Amino acid sequence: MSALASHPFASLLSGKSLRLICGAILLVNGLFPALWILFTSLKTEAELTAKPITWFPHAPTLANYHTAFTDQPLHVFLMNSFMVALLSTALTIVIAVMAAYAIARLNLRYRGLILSAVIAVSTFPLVTLLVPLFEIMRTLDLLNSWTALVLPYTVLSLPVCTLMLVSFFESIPRDLENAAMIDGCTRMGALVRVVVPLAAPGVFTAGILAFVNAWDEFLLALSFNSSPSLRTLPVGIQLYQGEFAFPWPVISAALVVGIVPVAILIVIFQERVVSGLTTGGIKG
Amino acid sequence: MPARSRNRLSWLTDPSDRTLAMMLLAPLVALVMLIVVYPVLRLFQASLYENSLTSGLPPRFVGFENFALMMEDPVFWSTLGNTLLITLVTVPGALIMGLGLALMANLPFRRQWPVRLSLLIPWALPLAFAGLIFAWFFHSEYGVVNDVLRRFGMEPVIWFNSPRWAMAAICLTIIWKTSSFMALIILAGLQTIPRSLYEAADVDGAGKFRQFFEITLPLLRPSIVVALIFRTITALQTFDIPYTMTGGGPGTSTATLAMYIHQNTVSFLDLGYGSALAVVMFLLSMLVTLVYLRMIRSKG
Amino acid sequence: MKHLALTALLATSALTAPGMAQADADLRIYISSQHQPDVWREVLDKYQEDNPGTTVTIETGGNTSESQSQYLNTVMSAKDSNLDILILDVVRPAQFAAANWTHPIEDVDMEQYLPAYAEANSIDGEVVALPAFSDAMFLYYRKDLLEKHGVAVPTTWEELRAASKTVLAAEGNPDLQGLSFQGKAIEGAVCTFLLPYWSQGKNFVEDGKLTLDEPAALASMALWKSFAEDGTSKKNISEVATDDTRKEFQAGNALFAVNWSYAWAQSQSEESAVKGNIGVARLPAMEGGESATCLGGWEWAVSAFSEHPDESVALVKYLSSPEVAEYMAVHASLMPAFPEVFDDPEVLAAVPWFADARTVVETARPRPVTPRYAEVSEAIRTTLNAVLAGVTSPEDGVAEIKARLTRVLR
Repeated sequence: MSALASHPFASLLSGKSLRLICGAILLVNGLFPALWILFTSLKTEAELTAKPITWFPHAPTLANYHTAFTDQPLHVFLMNSFMVALLSTALTIVIAVMAAYAIARLNLRYRGLILSAVIAVSTFPLVTLLVPLFEIMRTLDLLNSWTALVLPYTVLSLPVCTLMLVSFFESIPRDLENAAMIDGCTRMGALVRVVVPLAAPGVFTAGILAFVNAWDEFLLALSFNSSPSLRTLPVGIQLYQGEFAFPWPVISAALVVGIVPVAILIVIFQERVVSGLTTGGIKG
Repeated sequence: MPARSRNRLSWLTDPSDRTLAMMLLAPLVALVMLIVVYPVLRLFQASLYENSLTSGLPPRFVGFENFALMMEDPVFWSTLGNTLLITLVTVPGALIMGLGLALMANLPFRRQWPVRLSLLIPWALPLAFAGLIFAWFFHSEYGVVNDVLRRFGMEPVIWFNSPRWAMAAICLTIIWKTSSFMALIILAGLQTIPRSLYEAADVDGAGKFRQFFEITLPLLRPSIVVALIFRTITALQTFDIPYTMTGGGPGTSTATLAMYIHQNTVSFLDLGYGSALAVVMFLLSMLVTLVYLRMIRSKG
Repeated sequence: MKHLALTALLATSALTAPGMAQADADLRIYISSQHQPDVWREVLDKYQEDNPGTTVTIETGGNTSESQSQYLNTVMSAKDSNLDILILDVVRPAQFAAANWTHPIEDVDMEQYLPAYAEANSIDGEVVALPAFSDAMFLYYRKDLLEKHGVAVPTTWEELRAASKTVLAAEGNPDLQGLSFQGKAIEGAVCTFLLPYWSQGKNFVEDGKLTLDEPAALASMALWKSFAEDGTSKKNISEVATDDTRKEFQAGNALFAVNWSYAWAQSQSEESAVKGNIGVARLPAMEGGESATCLGGWEWAVSAFSEHPDESVALVKYLSSPEVAEYMAVHASLMPAFPEVFDDPEVLAAVPWFADARTVVETARPRPVTPRYAEVSEAIRTTLNAVLAGVTSPEDGVAEIKARLTRVLR
């Protein structure tokens, strides 16, 4: 019995044309906006305001990319985003691995409670923390710094990553560690030498999720790091709009530059990301 | 367990399970305390003070005055209303669209990667980017949406000049962006449903639609509920897309509660009032979470 | 001429910073990008030449006042010593001083400035900022079109409406608008609202409390709305910002325009379609009222958290001197805050219309002076924008302003 026959839509159309239509819908829905921005970034301002509007650029130009880098310090925004995302990802992974191991392996008395707390933090409305965190960062003189963002971003991704790693750790048979410990390893040693390497794929996936979360965050970055030299990408891109105008081709170019790093990550590691999202997402 | 030799530094190099557990959990607990627990307590405290950084005066305890003033504040009510509207529209909207996308993605395509990418790219895109991209899409003269409308012979819409159309544009953008995440979650759920169930139903003579409602949906419930909880909590906090698309305009007709909190905090530096608003949002989120939890528990 | 001006600058900078400038100081000055930082750079270079040991770096903020003010808010509320000198919109010194963000400036004779600026920059008897340049809103008009159709320059809004009808009908040009003004929810929209309100002799704030005259406010909102509805202005005037008005007038697509002084230089430049055909006048008044205009201009303030307060104060005094004001008038078309600079022959040679501008600036009114001005501005500009967009009726708009600002200004 083919998989197709059991599909709810199967009764509607023949297999091949159904797949064609659905595939087209999926592709257009997912990729059209990004493609449109790509095309816009290659158009000149004059072509943009021509009527009727053109879809493909008639005379593609890279001038907008040049303007995007000179009009605003786009490379600075990129670097800020990159560093903040990298640092918070590293911190998230370290803390999540430690916590996940404790939950998964060590028979904790309050295991259920801790898990519930982790889940509770993930449903926490981050926006409400804007005011107290602003005050705290201000008092600690951390406004306009990478630290101001790295710490909240770590907390942002910790629940998802921890839960994901918990299920990864649980899928690794205990015998392997026990064997290592019988051979003379301490618990810590077993963690580092046996469990972590085996959970590497999970760790990697958790890292990607944390990176994407940090890269995409907007509200805190907007509020804490408003200095032009410390803005992250999503915030810095707002700077292209002048007091007077919206230079769409240049903004589009900047958007493309901003999407590329994350897009590359996604394209290379798609399977991992999907499995990571769903494991972390549907757990519990 | 083999016997362990103990020396002075044993607690560090070879700790007992309990010590180890505490050491491993300590960073998580510390960070959550610093970034979540302590700030929340401060939030509740700060909401009881009048604290406007521009006045140069020290904070002054005023009890529930901020909340009383909030009740009379027309902007509070309109942002609250907008937030609830967005939630009520985009949560079911994203669910339906996500379900549709997941069902389509579940078809046996020969190549899986285009399907995956078309769900992953929207998910990975920052909300702030989506806001800008769709603001361009909905541009009244040069946007794609109006171009398509014109090609079909329909009247183009001036999207951002009217509250209703601006809100529609915002909701459509949010639905587009969040449906991919829903689709990914639901897709994973779909893929765990054993084919044998469908086969048995076929043998029993059940039609495709009936199979969908009696097999697929019930088994998808856990995934759907989890996705809904996250989507709803995020919907209440909607900020990025309206901020980058309309800035809250025209007037305050597309401003959300999160935007009002941000404005009071960063633009007006009125931390007391901003805290009070945030307390309201916090209570609202807790309420929603509790409702969902009750729903999960009652239906077993 | 440039040679003479620079020599004068050299002399000034040597005089205004005796002794103190010898100290090694690295000053950072915040100039928003729309205020011609490149011209200020020339002035600062001269100061650096004359005061070795002091280097001045310009930091520019974002392109919109919203992003700039968010940036300054964050920096100042964090007591960051990163910025020594700030350029502030004329509405801000009161707010900054109340928040203790400014360093007082002593030994300055405020009488040398136009009275409005002496007042705007002195809070509780302390001088907290010195003027960088002055500005006000004017009525720009097409001299050639008015002459062609025998219409006089209007002195009231109704006269303007009638003039617009006459000329538009006669010209039959679909691209020509009667009046262009700012309806977008930008800071300038606050002025848009206040012009007719003030013209009826009403005050908005007194002693920090809201004194809203509702009928006058209603008249103001209704006036602007009526322009959008009867064809005097564009239907989508709610999308028009300051530079849009300038561009439209410069392209010859507007008979009248309400705008700040910078539009003059641009509209008389080589790229302008209306070069030589424009005039400038006081803004019209409401029936039975007086003409009122909005005070503009920007001020130099010293950050209370600067690590070089003395050097910063010295630099600010230099930047706010008659010689620098003359240089900026000639090279950047920025109006001076000194009455006598308006009459300077070199200035008049470069910008002859400043002669008439002086009386307008002298009678300009400042926007509501309150530490919570940000909220006042937000309430007024978003409400006016909503009324112009047809989202709110003028009556509801006035009610909303009252409801919002009663809480803020209590």
